[in-house]
Amino acid sequence: MAILELNNLKKYFATQKAVDDISLSIERGQIFGLLGPNGAGKTTLIRMITGIFYPDEGQIIFDGKKFDPVNDIGHIGYMPEERGLYKKMKIGEQTLYLAQLKGLGRSEAMKKIKEWFAKFDMDSWWTKKVEDLSKGMSQKLQFVTTVLHQPKLIILDEPFSGLDPVNSNLIKEEIYNLAQAGATIIFSTHRMEQVEEICDHIVLVNKGKKILDGTVQRVKQDFKENLFRVTFKDRLLAEHLAIHLFEVKQKMEKEVIIKLDPGFSNNDVLQYFINKGLLIESFNEILPSLNDIFIRLVEGTPASRHFQEVKN
Amino acid sequence: MNKILLIIQREYLTRVRKKTFIISTILFPLLYLALIFGMSYLGATTMAHLKVAVIDSSGYFNKGQFERSNATDSTLVMTLLNEHPDSLKNTYKRRGFDGFVIIPASKNWEEGIPNVSFRADKKFGASSVGQIENRLNFLWTDVKNEKLGIDENKKEIISKSRVSVTSEDLLGQAANEKVAGTIGFVAGFLIYLILLIYGSQVMMGVMEEKTNRIAEVIISSVKPFQLMLGKIIGIGLVALTQFFLWVIFVFVIYNLTKATSNSNEAVNNMVGQVQNTFTNLNIPVILFFFAFYFLGGFFFYSSLYAAIGSAVNEDMREAQSLSFPVTMLVILSIAMTSISLNDPTGKLAVWASIIPFSSPIIMMTRIPFGVPGTVPWWQLGLSMALLIAGFLFTVWLSGKIYRTGILMYGKKPSWKEMIKWAFAKS
Repeated sequence: MAILELNNLKKYFATQKAVDDISLSIERGQIFGLLGPNGAGKTTLIRMITGIFYPDEGQIIFDGKKFDPVNDIGHIGYMPEERGLYKKMKIGEQTLYLAQLKGLGRSEAMKKIKEWFAKFDMDSWWTKKVEDLSKGMSQKLQFVTTVLHQPKLIILDEPFSGLDPVNSNLIKEEIYNLAQAGATIIFSTHRMEQVEEICDHIVLVNKGKKILDGTVQRVKQDFKENLFRVTFKDRLLAEHLAIHLFEVKQKMEKEVIIKLDPGFSNNDVLQYFINKGLLIESFNEILPSLNDIFIRLVEGTPASRHFQEVKN
Repeated sequence: MNKILLIIQREYLTRVRKKTFIISTILFPLLYLALIFGMSYLGATTMAHLKVAVIDSSGYFNKGQFERSNATDSTLVMTLLNEHPDSLKNTYKRRGFDGFVIIPASKNWEEGIPNVSFRADKKFGASSVGQIENRLNFLWTDVKNEKLGIDENKKEIISKSRVSVTSEDLLGQAANEKVAGTIGFVAGFLIYLILLIYGSQVMMGVMEEKTNRIAEVIISSVKPFQLMLGKIIGIGLVALTQFFLWVIFVFVIYNLTKATSNSNEAVNNMVGQVQNTFTNLNIPVILFFFAFYFLGGFFFYSSLYAAIGSAVNEDMREAQSLSFPVTMLVILSIAMTSISLNDPTGKLAVWASIIPFSSPIIMMTRIPFGVPGTVPWWQLGLSMALLIAGFLFTVWLSGKIYRTGILMYGKKPSWKEMIKWAFAKS
């Protein structure tokens, strides 16, 4: 069952069409990647999902019902990219305040805070002020405040920025755990290698429109270029590669990257090399990285969104 | 609703627990009282003790007069000498005089002596010169009386027989307009102080979310309007708390010092007078209106300050320049109090007490003069209605500006842009 459905959402500002007819559907328990270059409309989209902005047109269906900004936000956790905390407020008190604002009762909130603080090794932080924390520490705290109220939908915008590898890993583990426990996660980032690692399903937006929508595997398959890497035990000679089966993209001493001609199969290539008497060590398809796909799709988009004429 | 209460609670507690709150609550009344007592004490002890020599060419003055008057008021000692000014000017200092007075010959006593000069090497203030002039006039009165044949009896009658006027309302009850004026001024001034101090507190409080970059996190949990309202009310409660604490403090300190005999007679008298007239003027009424105008004015202005705070980007100077017109309105209102206190029924006073921008301050200066006497019911009603409508409007307008401004980190907007936000769709 879809936890979130966006139907033909539009949000136009005076100087541009930030979100220009976007529809998508997110299943419960998915780890969903929302990608796009700067100015693509991701933040505006997210702000509509979290009730900060109201769409000009279109519908948001949350958990099977029309999205109710007042009541549903208790089920949503949002960690914006531009994030901070009250510097001069004590940490325990502030976490409690934020949890209560989300609708948790006082005692319930305290219980959950204690759990999470213990899990993340933050017990000694209760009476410290936020300004006493390092950047990585405050990011951890922000993550905790986002997920404390056990939201059904968690939206994380660049959650790993500023984190060292240890803390990054910690957060990543938690994301998996939360998804296992049934939460749905929308993850917005520019770091494609993380997307490949973590996400099930991705959507790529550009200039307010959706230009990709599918599972990571599917997308890679769609964009594959029939590239293969073959490694050998023997040295390769030029005569080994003079064949119409494939095009040589890169040749190294014992390795070659080839682009297979569409009329031929993997077996044809393997057969060929075997016939040539070469000892094959490995044969792997090179699927495009999401990074490459991203660049290919949005190349040509100007570095910053130009102001558009918005005619109503 | 619950969320607004949470926000109010947080804003209130955060500020009330700060050291600066406690210090300013204790310090201000102490400073103020020290000022009053200090000034009157200083005034008494450092009143100029002048020693002045007198050269009289008119012949109307004699030694005995000066000696008698010196005895009654020793702050000014005048000594009649029989010398020439030129020689005196070299020796007066050595002989312990601060300066000397030359009374020229006068052709006709009926025309008085207009050109008495007071000479000294340094300049004395106007009050010293006034002292000398007063003393001489005092003695001159005796001269005049003698010349006119006004004996002791007649002198007595002249000074005792006076006409004094007290103003009364139509029921014949005495209305002390001096005290009314004082109360009016104090009330107006208090509201002015609170509007300025706490208006800017609201502005800075609103900037807190932007500076800490927590605005979007909070807005994802509550509506912007709830956050704004919570902040305004929370900070308003802090203002009320501080105000009450001040009143209590001043009251306690005053009563304590009254018990000791060090307190100044004049202050005692004045407060005594005020307390007397308190029973004449309708105190509960004044307090009620004070509360009403305090709240109305606070909501009216603090919502404007909140809108400004939400639009700027952490830069206090931007905030100050944008808030300048609002602050000017408040200052203008207090400036008008001198006119409204002087003439509580004049056109300026009446209109200023009705328009919401100035009514909190100006109406409070008029009310102690009497409702419905000085302030007819219709004026009061209109003023209150307009103030309520006024603050409902500014709160609504500011809510719209706030919801856009709080998420914006771009360039500083102008008032025109801010108004556009107010009427944009959400």
